Amino acid sequence: MKLHIVNRSPASSQVYAQAVTAMGPDDRLLLIEDGVQGALPQLVRYYEDIPGRLYVLREDLEARGLLGRCDGSVLVVDVDGFVQLTEEAEQTVSWY
Amino acid sequence: MKSDLDLEPGDLLVILRHGPHGTSWLREGLDAALVAAAFGRRVSLLFMGEGVSALVTGQQAGPLGQKGTAPTLEMLAMYDIETLWVEDEALSSLGLAEGDLMLPTRPLAAEAIERAVAAHPLVLTF
Amino acid sequence: MATTEIYRYLSVADQQVGLDPEGYLVDLDQWSPDVAAALADEEGILLEDDHWEVLRVLRDFYARYEMAPAMRPLVKAVGMALGADKGRSIHLMRLFPGSPAKVAARLAGLPKPTHCL
Repeated sequence: MKLHIVNRSPASSQVYAQAVTAMGPDDRLLLIEDGVQGALPQLVRYYEDIPGRLYVLREDLEARGLLGRCDGSVLVVDVDGFVQLTEEAEQTVSWY
Repeated sequence: MKSDLDLEPGDLLVILRHGPHGTSWLREGLDAALVAAAFGRRVSLLFMGEGVSALVTGQQAGPLGQKGTAPTLEMLAMYDIETLWVEDEALSSLGLAEGDLMLPTRPLAAEAIERAVAAHPLVLTF
Repeated sequence: MATTEIYRYLSVADQQVGLDPEGYLVDLDQWSPDVAAALADEEGILLEDDHWEVLRVLRDFYARYEMAPAMRPLVKAVGMALGADKGRSIHLMRLFPGSPAKVAARLAGLPKPTHCL
């Protein structure tokens, strides 16, 4: 299992599509930095192919005032959760 | 389109997502691939998105004489980097066909890209 | 990459050839067989036919790919150009002791190979 990390918003970048294309059936995806916009209900459809495997970083949501605006299907993790996801993965792959 | 890929995974998959000249990402990705190959690792390359434009024939130096990346791509075989994949969808999105590319490559559909990534213990994106 | 800073000069006949701190030519166009011989002399190498043919392979490599090769591709290029019995690292070690890819690139008037440590 690989952990993929996306730091760009699907509203402005195609990088999300590259990450989703590259993901295996057990891989997970974590949204960080501007990537957290992808957790909004209006944008989360870009990740509809990976239900239950989409994570978003709490600290980056909070910084942008978006914590309460996330779609319910997205799993919110804090930095400790990020570390744990990293440890559970054989490798992390960054998409930027 | 051949979808069952006789994947021969290497030790390292380098994914190149940027075209020549505009940024240094392509060169840096190629450098990473060459270093790994110089040390005997088996390297595969996957050109994704805009990265497929790195393979277009007829590239030249930049307007100010900046070196391009095409000679480096031609050198890959000397480093025994011979697994070259291109994202099929990216090719067609740029209106390119295999015949427009300077090296023999293998187009991969989305499902094959997923397997290529899974099959390599180390994946670097540039 | 070739550096632009001249660290010292090598005198070859009436020519002053600028070298970088590692002994590579700063201006690659200053290379000549006499310069190669002088650089080789610094390494304690007397250039003979076996050396020259490898230097030619290196210069062809650079003309084509715009980079100096690391050891593995150098071995491969020599093997392709000069035959399998010469495309072996032992042969290159004998000709250019120490680090053949670096030493031979220096004598051939190429920049330092980028992809070897």
